[in-house]
Amino acid sequence: MIEKLWFLIPEIILFIGVCVVSIMGLSHHRTWRSAVPGATIVFLIAAALATPFLYTPEKMEAAELLMPRVGWYFKVIVGFVSVLLALMCIGLIDRRYEAEVKAGRASFDPMRVNRGEFFIFFLLSVMGVNLICSANDLIWLFLALELVSLPTYVMVAMSRPSRKAQEAAVKYFFLGAMATGVFLYGFALLYGSTGTIVLTEMRDVFAAQVAEEGGVNLLGIVGMIVSLLGVAYKIAAAPMHFYVADVYEGAASAVSAFLAFVPKAAGFLGMILLLGTMGWAGHAGEGSTGLPMPIVTTLWMIAAITMTLGNVGALLQTSVKRMLAYSSVAHSGYMVIGLIAGPGLGINGVLFYLTAYGIMNTAAFAVLAGLERKKAEIETVDDLAGLRFKHPSMAIVMAISAASLLGVPPLLGFMGKLYIFVGGVETGHIPLVIIAGLNSAISAGYYLYLIGLPILSQPSPQAETITTGEARWPRLAGVIGAVLIIVLPVFTNYLYDATERSTEGYLDEQARQIGATDADEPDEPPDPALATRE
Amino acid sequence: MTIETTHMMMLANTAAGPGWAGFILWFPLISLALCGLWSILRIKSKLPAWTTVGCLALAFLTTVALYVSYSEPVVIHLFDWFNLHWGSGAKAGSFVANFSLYVDSLTLLWMLFVTGLGTLIALYASEYMEPDVGKGYTRFFAGVSVFLFAMSCLVMGDNLVLLYLGWEGVGFASYWLIGYYYTKPSAVAAAKKAFIMNRIGDLGLALAIWFIWLNFGTVEFADLFAVIASGAYHTEAGGWSISAIPFLLMLGAFGKSAQIPLYVWLPDAMEGPTPVSALIHAATMVTAGVYLLCRMFPVMQLHELALPTVAWIGTSTAILSATIALAQYDIKRIMAYSTVSQLGFMFAGVGVMTTAGAAYHVFTHAFFKAVLFLTCGAIMHGFAGQLDLRKLSGIMRLRGWKVVSVTMLIGCLCLAGFPLTSGYFSKDMILAQAFTSGHSAVGWLLLFTAGLTAYYTFRVWFRVCIGPVHFEPGDEDHGDDHGHDDHGHGDHGHGDGKFHPHAPKWAVNFVLIAITVGAILAAIPYFMPSGEEGVKGGWVASMTLDSSARDGMYGVYAIEEKGKLFGADPYNAMYFVSAAFGLVGILIAWWLHLANRKAADALRAKLLANPLTRWLPTAMENKWYVDEIYHVFVRAPLWVIGHAFALIDRLFVDGLLVNGTGYLPRAVGRMFQPLQNGVLQSYAVLMAGGFALVVVLIVLVMPWLQPILADWMAGTGGAG
Repeated sequence: MIEKLWFLIPEIILFIGVCVVSIMGLSHHRTWRSAVPGATIVFLIAAALATPFLYTPEKMEAAELLMPRVGWYFKVIVGFVSVLLALMCIGLIDRRYEAEVKAGRASFDPMRVNRGEFFIFFLLSVMGVNLICSANDLIWLFLALELVSLPTYVMVAMSRPSRKAQEAAVKYFFLGAMATGVFLYGFALLYGSTGTIVLTEMRDVFAAQVAEEGGVNLLGIVGMIVSLLGVAYKIAAAPMHFYVADVYEGAASAVSAFLAFVPKAAGFLGMILLLGTMGWAGHAGEGSTGLPMPIVTTLWMIAAITMTLGNVGALLQTSVKRMLAYSSVAHSGYMVIGLIAGPGLGINGVLFYLTAYGIMNTAAFAVLAGLERKKAEIETVDDLAGLRFKHPSMAIVMAISAASLLGVPPLLGFMGKLYIFVGGVETGHIPLVIIAGLNSAISAGYYLYLIGLPILSQPSPQAETITTGEARWPRLAGVIGAVLIIVLPVFTNYLYDATERSTEGYLDEQARQIGATDADEPDEPPDPALATRE
Repeated sequence: MTIETTHMMMLANTAAGPGWAGFILWFPLISLALCGLWSILRIKSKLPAWTTVGCLALAFLTTVALYVSYSEPVVIHLFDWFNLHWGSGAKAGSFVANFSLYVDSLTLLWMLFVTGLGTLIALYASEYMEPDVGKGYTRFFAGVSVFLFAMSCLVMGDNLVLLYLGWEGVGFASYWLIGYYYTKPSAVAAAKKAFIMNRIGDLGLALAIWFIWLNFGTVEFADLFAVIASGAYHTEAGGWSISAIPFLLMLGAFGKSAQIPLYVWLPDAMEGPTPVSALIHAATMVTAGVYLLCRMFPVMQLHELALPTVAWIGTSTAILSATIALAQYDIKRIMAYSTVSQLGFMFAGVGVMTTAGAAYHVFTHAFFKAVLFLTCGAIMHGFAGQLDLRKLSGIMRLRGWKVVSVTMLIGCLCLAGFPLTSGYFSKDMILAQAFTSGHSAVGWLLLFTAGLTAYYTFRVWFRVCIGPVHFEPGDEDHGDDHGHDDHGHGDHGHGDGKFHPHAPKWAVNFVLIAITVGAILAAIPYFMPSGEEGVKGGWVASMTLDSSARDGMYGVYAIEEKGKLFGADPYNAMYFVSAAFGLVGILIAWWLHLANRKAADALRAKLLANPLTRWLPTAMENKWYVDEIYHVFVRAPLWVIGHAFALIDRLFVDGLLVNGTGYLPRAVGRMFQPLQNGVLQSYAVLMAGGFALVVVLIVLVMPWLQPILADWMAGTGGAG
């Protein structure tokens, strides 16, 4: 238990942050209240910076986890992308009320301020993602996944004082509750199939089932599929993606960006852990090294349908937020290919892609968050027309992030797609990669629009009235994101190596299992892609 | 196969080099970052110039240090970039392109003059761009920094991907700087033209890299040369895609180095500020094509027709642009055409297998052409944008113009190939090798071109620098709206006789003298020992010998016996033959443009009067109508096709297919749109329905489907 606590130190730091921020948010002094986002960022950075020191090789060696090293990568990446997201949230909450207080029109009333609470929820949600890294049983996994989601329901409702946001929150909450029910049911079936809730034990039980019966039993397969479908809500994949457009549109842009990254990262990590119990190592039957066929088929369909619905949905939108919402669905579809491809390029590719997607999507939303018209966020594509003339930096940020989302070669998004697609081809899922390629082509239809409109068009009459938001921090987040999109590809190999190192233990277990269950081919390396990399 | 093969194996077995060499790349990058910072801080002083000059000087010193410590080809690994491996056994593949530097003597030769001239020209620009301080000054120096960084990547990269990055980078920097006066339509048009012409070439280079990777499995120079030296690739089929590689590389080189058919952008690129013309469009960037061919010399020999093609394209370009230069009046434009022509010489040199000669000519040309451009710039600067050689005369006698005139004279002597100047030796190597390797037609044409070169070069100098004093200020001037290199001479009236030319100040004079000294001294390497018996070209040849361009010293094509010129070794005979051609050209120029200036006009009038010869001066003055031909045969058809497509688009796609982004995706989207009705309950039903569907599918349908799917997936390579 004490080893587990050791790995939880980043979460503990975040929790201290929660306490500090909640007190600061209620302070009578305006300076203290306005320091809330800064404090949030400080704690996020502290947690992220502490991580590499905590995940020492010996500790990771000793940890009884399915993926002992993943937190080493994940907590750092999620921490730093969350810093960008927190920058975007500055000046979002309580703006009107604080202005009144400042002007002396209203007196300070602790019951009316929300800023502290908003950032508490922010930190709690990030903390949930970090907790998943240490999950080794279904209960922990369930609680951590819920800790990610529950705060986001409130964040959506708080994010702006409009009925749209509240409607979005209600939808998000009810549908989320339903999805939670689904994966909880799946967890129950998994328990029924294996008689354990501990993931590492579950893996051994499945391996034993394969050895004795020639395959995982039906209850286990159905349990896994139901769990995956439930978690698909978090990553916004079909058939659980219906909420996305409405919720992202209703929430403030900063919160939409948060929804597109934090729950998605949590969901993918959860899926990787769940799939890891069945492994890619010999559970599909004689001689195969993949997942059981029904699960591959399900994921295959989810990937194909998700990316197609996402991209064709985005084509029809006139609201940039809805467009980016559908694009978020489509990107989940691409990432599911990585799940199918399995350890090596696939899983590492997903971890890499999450980082890339987090950065480029945040940059795109930051443009929307950083500009406003008549005190309201800009939303429609017409607002973006000819942005170059009045707000050149934001126009460039938009163009760069859209180009990266599209996957234009030297940029970050291209690198992400490269790993995942190569992983897919490598494992023989060529038709799926072709579908993904076609989808990328379709997505050019709207991404090129987002690139061209701000740079090439003449401003529309309504675009003339666009001003920059009061806080410059959201724009700063956009600029940082755009710079990262251009600079990180140069260091892509280091980032990829990091993802590779973070999945090391996971892979070793697969190799051990092959040795145990597949005596015919003991020398076959578990994944050729990694075997050749020294 | 012996000496070449062992040599290439030696190139392949490269040791690790010193990491500090990376600073040659980082210094320009630091300079760029600082320029960005100055622009954010709104610095309104000459600070950006001093930053850039300082950083470039440091880069130059680093290069010198690298040269001093150099002993054998090294790969300097800076950091990992692309490092993909997949498959195992026979199916194993990889794509490795790290951020590494490949340093051999060819790299060093190029980097020495790139960073050295870059520093000096940035210093010149610090004064030249003075009137823009606080306006475009920072933007200009940021562009120069980008250029130097990209050029260093291009020359020093250890793989074709990094080279391509640099290749695109210098193209971008060139676009940036040609379009520096972006309020001026002609500058914008020129920038666009350069960009598009270069894209065509870049397509060739990109395809070549792709084919190289397909056929040889690597894009790293060291590995690539090893594979080619081993000859192992012949077994792996390839056929046409291997043969295509040298021609595609050539296309890339022609685009960047302004050769037929892609040369038309370079003369127009003179719309940029003069230091840019000198640095990018005369001395460094345009030689990237020659560098590419030298670096990839083993690859260029994959098809026996590749090098002769290069030789003939180079020769044609040389002679065509020399004839255009004969009839131009704008001195900067004459220099531009002369650059195209000299680049033609270099390509011809590569084509006739003297990479040493080509590299030496690049080296000397970089100096003397920089001098010529910078003197043109000084004249333009001083005479309010005047560049017409008919309106300038005898400026040597004006106070403060001695340095400009004398340095220009030395530049002209080098360009004309006057005996014992640097240009004379480097040009002779190319000419002599043409005869030696049996391309005597190329040799004679180039000799004739050398005569033309001497004539048009001295036409400029005799007209502008000596003779009776007479000048008119430039007509395109004053204010930013016109922009063209004129710098606030608002106090000078037009033609009122009170115009006072600005003589250049210390920075310009210092740089002119420094580069001129360089141009004179560039003859010395010819006499330095080349370290090998019977190899002409001295130090430069030894620098080229030590690299992948080596084969050119001997030639892979069997040359039974060395060609002769007038019964002698061409290398010895050429000293006299080319000198004679050059002197004749200078004498004609002296007669027509100094001793008897009326005669030139009379000759032109005579030619125009005779209907049989009228076409000659007209065509030459109009640049052989190449732009117009391109307009008719390339632009117009494209325009027609473009509009036809637009019409089809509007009639069919917009009319029938809604907005042209493709009907099907949108239709599918519309099909699903009713589902997205915003009602919570229906979303819940859909989610539950989807969920139920999947479960039913798995539990009831999967048992039947599984064997079929298993077969199908096995057919496509297994399920993961």
